[in-house]
Formats: sequence, C-alpha cells, structure tokens
Amino acid sequence: MPYSQIKKWRDNKWNDHQDSSHALNDFHDELMMKVFDAALERHISEFGPVPCRYTWFVMGSAGRFEQAIISDQDHGLIYEERNEKTNRYFITFGKELANGLNEVGYPYCDGNVMSSNPIWSKSIIEWEEQLSKWLTEESFESIRFLLIFYDARVLIGEEAYCKKLKQIVHDYIKKNPRFLERLLENTQHVKKAVGFFHQFLTEPHGAHAGSIELKQSGFFPYVNNVRLLAMKESLEATSTLARLKALNNMSKYKQNLSWCAKEFEKLLHYRLQYHKKNTENYDDIHYLNIKELSKDEKKEMKHILLNGQKLQEYTQSVIKGTIET
Amino acid sequence: MEDIMFSLNSVWLVLGALLVILMQGGFILLEAGSTRMKNAGHIAGKTVFTFGLASIVFWAVGYGFIFGDNSNFLIGLSDFFYSGDQAEGMAYSTAAFFMFQLAFAGISLTIAFGGFAERAKLSAYLVFAILFSVVVYPVVAHWIWGGGWLAEHGKQDFAGSTVVHLTGAMAAFAATLLLKPRIGKFNKNGTSNNIFGHNQVYTALGVIVLWVGWFGFNGGSTFVVDDGFFGFVALNTNLAAGAGAVAALIISWMVLGKSDIPTILNGALAGLVAITASCAFVETWAAVLIGFVAGILVFYSVKFFDRLKVDDPIYALSVHGAAGVWGTLSTGLFATPELATVGKPGLFYGGGFSQLGVQAMGVSVSALYAFVVSFVLLYAMKKVMKGLRVSEEEEIIGLDVSEHGNYGYPEAFIANEEKNRIAN
Repeated sequence: MPYSQIKKWRDNKWNDHQDSSHALNDFHDELMMKVFDAALERHISEFGPVPCRYTWFVMGSAGRFEQAIISDQDHGLIYEERNEKTNRYFITFGKELANGLNEVGYPYCDGNVMSSNPIWSKSIIEWEEQLSKWLTEESFESIRFLLIFYDARVLIGEEAYCKKLKQIVHDYIKKNPRFLERLLENTQHVKKAVGFFHQFLTEPHGAHAGSIELKQSGFFPYVNNVRLLAMKESLEATSTLARLKALNNMSKYKQNLSWCAKEFEKLLHYRLQYHKKNTENYDDIHYLNIKELSKDEKKEMKHILLNGQKLQEYTQSVIKGTIET
Repeated sequence: MEDIMFSLNSVWLVLGALLVILMQGGFILLEAGSTRMKNAGHIAGKTVFTFGLASIVFWAVGYGFIFGDNSNFLIGLSDFFYSGDQAEGMAYSTAAFFMFQLAFAGISLTIAFGGFAERAKLSAYLVFAILFSVVVYPVVAHWIWGGGWLAEHGKQDFAGSTVVHLTGAMAAFAATLLLKPRIGKFNKNGTSNNIFGHNQVYTALGVIVLWVGWFGFNGGSTFVVDDGFFGFVALNTNLAAGAGAVAALIISWMVLGKSDIPTILNGALAGLVAITASCAFVETWAAVLIGFVAGILVFYSVKFFDRLKVDDPIYALSVHGAAGVWGTLSTGLFATPELATVGKPGLFYGGGFSQLGVQAMGVSVSALYAFVVSFVLLYAMKKVMKGLRVSEEEEIIGLDVSEHGNYGYPEAFIANEEKNRIAN
C-alpha cells in the first residue's frame, strides 16, 4: 500500500479514535504498523528479502503508549546477524521507515532517534556493546540515550531481543545501585509552572505567550520519576500508567504513589481534550493555554503540576536511600 | 584656607564630571549588550558623536539657557558661548562647574536615545541631539536648578531624578511612540517576542560602570567638599542601588519563578535613578526603602509598557522614567528636617503634604513639558526628514552596515557574507 493511501486511511479514521488516550494510542500502533508493512514491502521489492530475524521498537511517548495527537517519531531496530551486508540492509530500511512515517504525519525526530541512524539500528551483539558503553561512560549523552532506550516497546518482531537488552540494564543497576543517583541527577531539572503566589508561570513572550509548557512542566516530572522507580524495580512495563500500576502492587510504594496514576490520567486527558481543537502543528502540542481552562480546571491543573513536584521529591528520597523501601 | 577649599571643591567637581562622562561608557555597554550584534558598532559610535555634539551645543547655548541671567519663564539669557570666566563669589571654579553640568546634559540625551535603539536613522540622532539640547533639557534644568519657578517652590531634586532621568525618559517615550516597535517585536495576536540582547556580560558591566559613575553624579552634586557630606550622599546612593538589585531579584523570582538577570540589572539602575533626587535629603533606612521600591516598580513597569505594545529595547522608560518619578516623589515622603536644605521635610517627618505636593507638581509639569515638546519636535522631524526610521531592509541587515558601512563584529558577519557569495 502506498504511503499516500495510508495517510488517507488515517485521515478518514482519525476522528473515531480520540475519545481516550488509550484509544488514540491503539490507533497510533495500528497506523505505525501499517507504515512498517508498507515500508518493508517496498524495501523487499528493491533490496531482496530480509536477511535475518529482527525487531522493530518504538521509544519516547510512543514507547510509553502515551502519544499525543501529533507526535514525532522515535524508533529503532535490533537484528540477529552482525555483518556489513545486514547493517547496510537495515540502515536503508530504517531510512525507508522514517520517510514513510514522516509522510503519514509523524515528523522526523529532531534528536535523530530513528532507525535510519546507526546508533539506533544495530545487531544484537552491537547493541549489547553499546548498552554497556552507555552504562559505564560518564557522559550526559550516554545517560540520555539510555533513558530513551529504556522506554523501548516492541511493535514488530522478536520480543526477546529487547528483553535481553533491558536485562543488561537491570543487572547493572542491581550491581551498582548508585547508578540510579546519576540518572536522577540528570533528570531533575524541571521547568516550574506554578510560582510563589500559586500563580501559573506562563510563557511571557513569543508565539506561546500565556501558555504553560505542558511537556516540560507537566509530563516530565511524572514520566521521568516513574521511569526511575521502574528501573530501580526492574519493571518490564513501558507506559507510565502500567509502571505505576506495577509499583502500586508493591507494598512499599502503595502508600506513597496510590494517588499518582489518577493525576497522570488527568494530564493525558487535558492534553487530548485541549489539543483536539487547538493543534496546528507539532510545536503546539507541548503547550497549554491556561486561558482556555475554566476556574475549576485551572485549580485542578495546578494540583497536577504541584503533585509532579511532590512525586519528584519522593523519588529523590527513594533513590538517594533516605527513605527505606 | 579659602583658597584651599576653592581648589578642593574644584578638584571634586572635575572628578565628578569625569565620573559622569565615564557613565557614557556604561551606557554604551548597557545599550549594546541589550541589543543585537548587528547594531553594536552603531550604538557605541553614535553615543560618542552625540555626546560630542551635545557638548558643543551646551557650550553655545545650553549652559546660558539653564544658568544665565535675565531669565524669563523658560530660560536664562546670558553666558552663551561660555568663555571659561570665573563667576564672582563662587566657591569653586566656574569652568569646573560648567564641565560638571555639561556631563549631566550629555547623560540626559543618551537616555533619550535609548528610545531610538535599533531602528532610528543616524540623521535623526544628529538632529534630535541638537534640538533636545537646545529646547528640551535646558528648560527643565532651568526650572529646577537654574533658579526657575520650580526652584522657587522648593522642588527637591538633588542630582536630577527629574531633570536628567525623567526628562531623558520622556523624550525616549515620545521617540518610541513615533518610531513604532522594531520588526518582529509584537505578534499579530498581541503577544510580544523577546528580542534578546547579544551580550549579557556587557549589560552587567554597563550597570557596574554606571553604578560607580553615579558616585560622581550624586556625590559630585554637593559641589563642595565641606564636612565631607558627599560621603553620606555616596552611602545613600550605594544602599539604594543594592536594595534595587535585591528587590528586583526577589520579585522576578516570585512572579516569574526564576531570578531574571535583565530584571536584576534594571533593579540596580532603578535604585540609582530613584535615589538621585533624594540622596542628600533622606536617612539611610529610607535610602534602602526607596531603592527597594524602585526595584519592584521597574519590574512591573517593564511589563506594563510591554502590554501597551511600546517597544523599549533598553528599558529606558521604566528605569529612568518610572523610577525617576518615584525617586522625585520619595523626598516628599522621607526628607528629614535636618537634611532638607531645599524645600520642606516630607510627609513622614511632620512636613505634611506640602513638599509631596510640590514634588508631584514638579514631576508632572516637567514630564509633560519634556514629552510634549519632544513629541512635537520629533513629529516635525518625521515630516521634514521623511521618516525617522531606517528602511525595513536596513533594519534587518543592521545599522552597523546600513548607517556606517562597517560591522561592529566584522568576523561574525563577513564570514557569512563570503559563504553566501560562494553559495550563489
């Protein structure tokens, strides 16, 4: 199926899948898999059959099953054989994939986290080497890559590859619990959105004046801190809500995190409701104009944002070991 | 003994003049740092040439208009083309006094040009430098310092919150209204964009140079060194600047959630502007309070002008205007009976509302005069000179090239030009 036809299919079906974040993300999955099939078909016709087993996974908000209406692409490939020929095969396939996704409405990733980039498209052995490097190398970039990878969710192919790679991360953390503190220190900068007088700290200038940056101020504290706790507990789940559910099943977290999932669901809900009517481009999706909210909604939103800070403080104390867990 | 005092006073006045002229350097750094690279050379250069021009005008007529005899309601009418003669009975060199006053006139003009930044034609600077120095500044200075009608009312303005700062700021206001905002400053939906200055370190250095220069500005305004009173004036000046910076940090942190550096810098300057009128008339605690209020005021004033869609690139209206008004009014509140050598004590020192009333009247009439006359002059210039503003193209390529044919940062731009040429 040509991409243009998938795009048409997407545009027709689009409005039927926006009732909930879950429904929207199911649709995203279906759409991305359709693109994958189309890309693979094109690639095989040009470069021949796939040379070995492989897996295609998505990361970022797609990996966490919490994509917004518009979302950029983050994805990677793992394949079985390590040789020059397969490398070339999968890199060109990665480019095909990225182009296809772009054509149906997933903008290219600014950070180049795409299967077309050799960093994110590797044989399983190279992946293992790379992960070890990320775990031991003292650089901000390695930490960033590691955190991105940790949200990987398999859409197509062998689940086992991804599982195996995550096991490396879990084993390392078990042996080096202090590593979590480094991860913590690299994810604690949050753009404040509620100020001293309990007022919203909106953008003072520019195209988004009067808005808060929902991604940085709202989502990041929840996503980042829940991910850290998930790493500490070697969880397999990748979505923030699923991770929270798993954490809440553990008695040590239950008391402190039981409120959290509800707040995050509200955050997803606000983004979806608000952006149904207000989204013109990918940049808009990160912002929320508080003028559009009712008085009660404003109050609720402040609550969500302040609870994000609370979660952050709690996570800090858990990771730094000042709270027994 | 009298000879020694005469010499010491004269040294002090010339030192004051030097410090105030050095403030032009502070303004160059402040203004260039707060604006874009493509205009940096222009901003630095125009400050030097307009100060030169203002010096000559001040010598020819400005000084005579302010301090001359045979005065009418607006100006004095003697001492034109000042020869350097010593005036009888003066406790210091008249030439030193002239230099000190010249430096002040130059500062007021530079403040006015803050409202021109990044879009006015060079010829507009040239013509307005003359008109402002002949028609605007001398009248207000004469009213308050040259024995004019406001002086007779006992208007307190020790070193010129009104005379120098507010007058300059009102001219800047008239200019921003007539020039209109810079390209890209405001969006169609009414929101504004932040056009970032190119070097925050320059801006901060500018503030420090101004801060130090201000000891000449305020301290020198004692004219004489008797009793070392200038030391007290310097003390109050420093306290207000410090309090302004601290207040600005606190308010920006509370309202914006971050300690905003341009706000902190504006706060220090607003404290200095505010204490300029009152530094010799108030106690130290009042100096801290005056500076502190100025630091908060300047923050809200910047927001206010932004909302009015007035594009004020270097915040001249808020720093010199709003803080100038507050500083002038502050002596009506805090002037003490012992220190009020001019006028009466303030409201909080048993003086009732009378001094506050004089201050309010003085500040409104002076502001109104400076604004209306500047507006009329600039409006006439706009008609005669076919616009005050450079063309859109010139504004975009920058005034360094469009007005001077040279870059303030040649390497940064010429490399790009070469690249474009090769690409073409």
